Amino acid sequence: GAEELVLLEKLLGLPKGNKYGVQGERKVPVLQTNNGPGLTGLMTIAAHLVKQAKKDQLLGSTAEEKAVVQQWLEYRVTRVDGGSSKEDTRIILKDLNVHLEDKVYLAGNVFTLADILMYYGLHHVMVDLTVQEKEKYLNVSRWFNHIQHYPGVRQHLSNVIFMKNRLYTNAH
Amino acid sequence: MGFGDLKSAAGLRVLNDFLADRSYIEGYVPSQADIAVFEAIAAPPPADLFHALRWYNHIKSYEKQKASLPGVKKALGKYGPADVEDTTGAAADSKDDDDIDLFGSDDEEESEEAKKLREERLAQYESKKSKKPAVVAKSSILLDVKPWDDETDMAKLEECVRSIQADGLVWGSSKLVPVGYGIKKLQIQCVVEDDKVGTDMLEERITAFEDYVQSMDVAAFNKI
Repeated sequence: GAEELVLLEKLLGLPKGNKYGVQGERKVPVLQTNNGPGLTGLMTIAAHLVKQAKKDQLLGSTAEEKAVVQQWLEYRVTRVDGGSSKEDTRIILKDLNVHLEDKVYLAGNVFTLADILMYYGLHHVMVDLTVQEKEKYLNVSRWFNHIQHYPGVRQHLSNVIFMKNRLYTNAH
Repeated sequence: MGFGDLKSAAGLRVLNDFLADRSYIEGYVPSQADIAVFEAIAAPPPADLFHALRWYNHIKSYEKQKASLPGVKKALGKYGPADVEDTTGAAADSKDDDDIDLFGSDDEEESEEAKKLREERLAQYESKKSKKPAVVAKSSILLDVKPWDDETDMAKLEECVRSIQADGLVWGSSKLVPVGYGIKKLQIQCVVEDDKVGTDMLEERITAFEDYVQSMDVAAFNKI
């Protein structure tokens, strides 16, 4: 939550200095502002930071793109953060694998905030996947490997290794 | 490296496989590598090669910026899996009108010309080969010819040995080597063509001079 907002700040090239707190059981991040109650919620704060950094294109350029970005941000917060069982994770990976079959990025052809937050949100899942699982969710693996190499994204997070093992390749 | 023949279904399958876990041909950003391969493909890959199709549509979205993408366009053989060759006909022909195609415009013409050139070169090589004399296998043999006793006329013995003539046999130098009790053996060199003269034949003919020759041995045998 709060830690990834710090990573996001760095990725966006924003100066440090924002204060983050957490709220409630679910540890929802809160951005303390100088005046007023502050901004609450990962998606909200993230979008705010993007606009602060004047990198609005990361939220999508066309109306359709913007909607898709929002869709995946919502997915991240409700499904990825919300669910934590093995079954939940399996469904998420399956959904993403299908969606990414014909796309390089979550929003299609452009890198957006959706990719960034989905990467941070899924890192702990991807780190623990077996070789077979990585092969099974091939499109997710491809996308994840791509995003972790995007300049400024990975930072101090561990590099997840993806090696195509010919033994397990499905005959497509 | 390469993808086989990118204009064929098999080549596209190699590309598809290659792109299953990659977003781009090289590295993690679109580059001239992607443009090079994109331009080698005639049409969008079929839907069942969905990794290739995904990549194709993605690179197509960079059509307008293709000139400014990083990197340098290389020959198709520089991209793709290491264990596959590029066999895409007239390889990286640019479909760009601005490029000057130095080797002629027609695919068909070029390959015919290449074929003619190859055949010409083959013919040249064949004729050169036939003019060269075949290398013959030869050996240098040192023979020890022993007389009956110390009274044997060694000069005569040598004469007899040298009188042996055969196709592929050339006698060389000789010397007399004492072996004890006043007896001397004749050590004589010869060069033989392996196919024509063998030591058995030499032994037979030398020992035929029974009056002079007690025995013959091969002291040394070296291939030349």
